Amino acid sequence: MSTQDRVTIHKLPTGVLGLDEIVGGGLPEFSFNIIAGAPGSGKTTLAHQFVFANASPERPALYFTVLGESAIKMLRYQQQYTFFDPAKLPNSIRFINLSQVVLEKDLGAVLAEIIKEVEKANPAVVVVDSFRTMVRKPQGSPSEMDLQSFIQQLALFLASWQATTFLIGEYAEDELRDNPIFTVADGLFWLCQAAERNSIVRKLQIVKLRGQASVTGLHTFRITDGGLQAFSRTFGLSGHKKKEPGSKRLSIGIPDLDKMMGGGIPEGDSVLVTGASGTGKSVLATQFIAEGIRQGEPGIVAVFEERPQAYTDRAGSFGLDLVTPQHDGKLLILYLRPLDLSVDETMNEILEAVKKIGAKRLVIDSLAGFEMALSPGFREDFRESLYRMIFALTGIGVTILSTVEVDESFTEFPFSTYSISFLTDDIIRLRYISIEGQLRKILVIIKMRGGSHSQDVREYEITSDGLVIASERLKGYERLISGIPERVSQSGEKE
Amino acid sequence: MVPQETRDLARRLLAKEAATDKTSLSTGSAMSRVYERLRWSLCALAGVAGFRALASRALTLAKAESPNLSAIQVIADGSLQGLSEIEPQIDAHHDGGEVILVAQLLGLLVTFIGEPLTLRLVQDAWPDAGQDDCNSEDGRAV
Repeated sequence: MSTQDRVTIHKLPTGVLGLDEIVGGGLPEFSFNIIAGAPGSGKTTLAHQFVFANASPERPALYFTVLGESAIKMLRYQQQYTFFDPAKLPNSIRFINLSQVVLEKDLGAVLAEIIKEVEKANPAVVVVDSFRTMVRKPQGSPSEMDLQSFIQQLALFLASWQATTFLIGEYAEDELRDNPIFTVADGLFWLCQAAERNSIVRKLQIVKLRGQASVTGLHTFRITDGGLQAFSRTFGLSGHKKKEPGSKRLSIGIPDLDKMMGGGIPEGDSVLVTGASGTGKSVLATQFIAEGIRQGEPGIVAVFEERPQAYTDRAGSFGLDLVTPQHDGKLLILYLRPLDLSVDETMNEILEAVKKIGAKRLVIDSLAGFEMALSPGFREDFRESLYRMIFALTGIGVTILSTVEVDESFTEFPFSTYSISFLTDDIIRLRYISIEGQLRKILVIIKMRGGSHSQDVREYEITSDGLVIASERLKGYERLISGIPERVSQSGEKE
Repeated sequence: MVPQETRDLARRLLAKEAATDKTSLSTGSAMSRVYERLRWSLCALAGVAGFRALASRALTLAKAESPNLSAIQVIADGSLQGLSEIEPQIDAHHDGGEVILVAQLLGLLVTFIGEPLTLRLVQDAWPDAGQDDCNSEDGRAV
């Protein structure tokens, strides 16, 4: 069957930021879906967002409440969300309480009541909240056969009446295997939340979705004033074509460092600048961003360890104006440190900023601060998350410069404490050395995936003009990178 | 204490139903019809038990304000028993028990779900009513 012969399944907006991308562009129309999860995981809010996004006076939404949260309280709390539009009640969204029927009658009567209301209202959306309580009433619990028959009839009827349906329920993960409802459902949305140390981490999974490809895996989500906001594992970039690496080199704003790197940083690379505290990592990063702005390449700085004002002020002390470009929309300084962030949320913020100003350069200052801003549970996945983030960003042509602090050691020469060197294309190492009773600084290019680079060990200083590299490589010493070099004579003997 | 705007709305709903008395063959008092319309609408929303709980609370609050309502009770299906025993209000400067009871019920709704949604529920219960019937005299909703 050719593509044009296939039936077109319309996709409905979920009303949840980020979720449309996860479900493959929207929820299939007329699908029969389950939202499952523990109490407080956001099931009802998710259903409300879908309802408010799709209900109209012509094709309203019917929201059946059953033995759970009362509709009055539901309305009281849900109206606190910004998506809640009171103008949609009651013509576009009608709440119908089924508790009496459920308590006093059997599933057949419940089905008859739902059918009666659906035939009367011709709804586009039907929600039963909570479906679980309906089939778990204290007396006369239905047999498995009754339940299966009820679910099948309900699914058949609602699909035939062209309604997109959500059944909401508190289900445990081990019920996935043998509960008939999960077999009948076209879509299964699993919401979970877990306490990790002092943070709450919420994740959602599209366990199944008939008719279209969804993004697999667990996606973090947050419940905000605007309701649920989901953060796709692919950062909303699935389907985006990876930008082919070009030959362009980006200047760092430090001419001698550009030369050491063969003309600058290859566009779309991920660069790691490592060094101990005070070695000038942030200065170098600021020069990289300022140079980009000078060359018409908007930039973003994600800071975690100091506030944007302090960052801007410090740049000013090196003669770098970060104030004007912020006003001109050429620079955004993002300050992210709520302590329970996920990488996906951070990434979402960064991506939004990239889109907003068309950023070409990104500074993450620093990875240690980034990790600290994450919820403990996400810290365990930091490397994997960082890999996804860097891959996604460089894939759209953004050049990333990240800083990371390393403990200075005079016996080792670590590139970073994260074992993340493999994630980066290029590494610049800054370090202290002790020479002739002075603590001085050297810089070396450790790696450049895109080609050759200088092997020189160069001394540098932090001046009022920023990071300035000495004109020649440091000669007359050996074991420079140990931090405690030894002077050698011209004949090569130690002095 | 129920806000004046809510009392105004209760008065207008009762007046509207009272006017219906004269133009149709409707049965029951204006109070009974106002209450039944609200009961019908709110039972659909909150269920019988949910409405009964709200109505009981409203009646308790109303009785404290108007001993005239002491004989009234909310029964199992949420309807009122003893409505016929309310004595007509003869003091034009004070609200009668009917106004107080309807106002308390509407006031509870306002407390729980806010003015805009309460107004929408009222409009839903009186689809034939004009916008003015559901707005206060200064044009403000409930």
